[in-house]
Amino acid sequence: VYQVFESVAKKYDVMNDSMTLGIHRIWKDILMHKMNPSPGTLLLDVAGGTGDIAFRFINYVRSVQKLQLQRKLKHHQNLSWQEIFESYQKDQFNSLGDSQVVVCDLNREMLKVGKQKAKHLGYSEGLSWVLGNAEELPFDNDKFDVYTIAFGIRNVTRIDLALQEAYRVLKPGGRFLCLEFSHVSNPLLSRLYDLYSFQVIPVLGEVIAGDWKSYQYLVESIRQFPPQEELKAMIEDVGFFKVDYENLNFGIVAIHSGFKL
Amino acid sequence: VRCQHYPPLRALQASATLRRASDEQKKEPLTSSSQQHFDSPPAGHQPEREPQGPRPSYTGHGGQESEDYESEEQLQHRILTAALEFVPEHGWTAEAIAEGAKTLGLSVAAAGMFHSDGSELILHFVSECNAKLSKLLEKEQKLVQLGEAEKKPVDEFLRHAVEARLRMLIPYIEKWPQALSVLLLPRNIPSSLNLLTSMIDDIWHYAGDQSTDFNWYTRRAVLTGIYNTTELVMMQDSSPDFEDTWRFLENRVADAMTMSNTASQVQSTGEAVVQGLMGAAVTVSS
Repeated sequence: VYQVFESVAKKYDVMNDSMTLGIHRIWKDILMHKMNPSPGTLLLDVAGGTGDIAFRFINYVRSVQKLQLQRKLKHHQNLSWQEIFESYQKDQFNSLGDSQVVVCDLNREMLKVGKQKAKHLGYSEGLSWVLGNAEELPFDNDKFDVYTIAFGIRNVTRIDLALQEAYRVLKPGGRFLCLEFSHVSNPLLSRLYDLYSFQVIPVLGEVIAGDWKSYQYLVESIRQFPPQEELKAMIEDVGFFKVDYENLNFGIVAIHSGFKL
Repeated sequence: VRCQHYPPLRALQASATLRRASDEQKKEPLTSSSQQHFDSPPAGHQPEREPQGPRPSYTGHGGQESEDYESEEQLQHRILTAALEFVPEHGWTAEAIAEGAKTLGLSVAAAGMFHSDGSELILHFVSECNAKLSKLLEKEQKLVQLGEAEKKPVDEFLRHAVEARLRMLIPYIEKWPQALSVLLLPRNIPSSLNLLTSMIDDIWHYAGDQSTDFNWYTRRAVLTGIYNTTELVMMQDSSPDFEDTWRFLENRVADAMTMSNTASQVQSTGEAVVQGLMGAAVTVSS
């Protein structure tokens, strides 16, 4: 798995766009909307190498913070200019409202690409990059508000261990969110999807990233991955409550959610 | 091979927040207000889990701990109750729920269990208010039965009950219009209508009216109309202690009594329309 991603790191984003025809951005946006984080949330994004989820999180929290600030100021119509100025000052330095995201990935190359992207896009505060293994996270218990793993869990050898670790590092009340390719139940769509996966994607892999094998592996790992209900059961087994999944695009992708209660 | 377990009846982890039922009073609102308990929360895409049996009946393995832990629903109730405190500031929103969760020692992410428009919070509040009203009316009925209080005539009783119920809105009155609009969302209408009709039924039950002037549906519809219009008036009312609202209420109840006595049409056409609509909605929902 490590070597696959080492070679893939630099072209990861480009490949994502071409394979999914850019729809992966929408999927990630939907994930963020579902999370609906409030300012002050501490997010752990596992296998989040190039930072897609992390950046979206920061954008979301910033805009929520702005809305809240606007609402607060609207309420305080009779404040003096001095007071308004001061409250603006205070919140300016706090545009994230103490929210933070820790991006954890097994692969140094992916993290490197992520850091470069962050610099390039201008994300500086509230971000941390940590090298780590999903099956054995380098974090204390009960630390994070939300744990996400977007298109990473199928690459984990022992999914149950990763789920256990997720449970461990989440605070009580914390949320587990998993965005992953899943099973299409509709037979017609399933045929088309298979056709696309096995014929088109490895070819794209060769053409764009010069790597047929990695994308062959990718497509196969998707087929091997447990379907929605099974993953849901695995998540429940570890101890999460209110476990639920939402199919996107008829099951091509699914978001699983669970709470540590 | 997974080891055998009973998935729906796992005890919730003994974190700081989840309490043994023995520590606190047994939660009876869930049972006593069963008539007012709304349909299972309108969370859109939640697949039906195997029903969580009531805790006390579980006697599976590990039995010594399982009886005491609360269920998810009870925890959700506690979060929503805690969230009410933050409604005047944040409105009926996921933010208020997040703040409520925080006071219970839970992560703010727990608000993700609920719909982001605050529907469940509002429905919870309405259900709690209805339960409070029931208790109040029952207590008063007991006093009458013991001979310690006078039995009120019907119109006074109705006025008293509706006023008591509407007064519960006062702490939240600023944000209540927002709540009303959420309750009217198609998704929420079955639940909110259910809560409304059971509250009205409750009031009539305790009013103990034996008159045969009204038939059952008309009675419901009339009082529903009175309640709803008074509620709307209250939203706009800026008089001290809402005295305009109570006067409006008095007039409407008097009208209703007149209507029943003389069987004449209600004076104001607007009111007739409202009552007719409410009656139709009530009939449809029944």
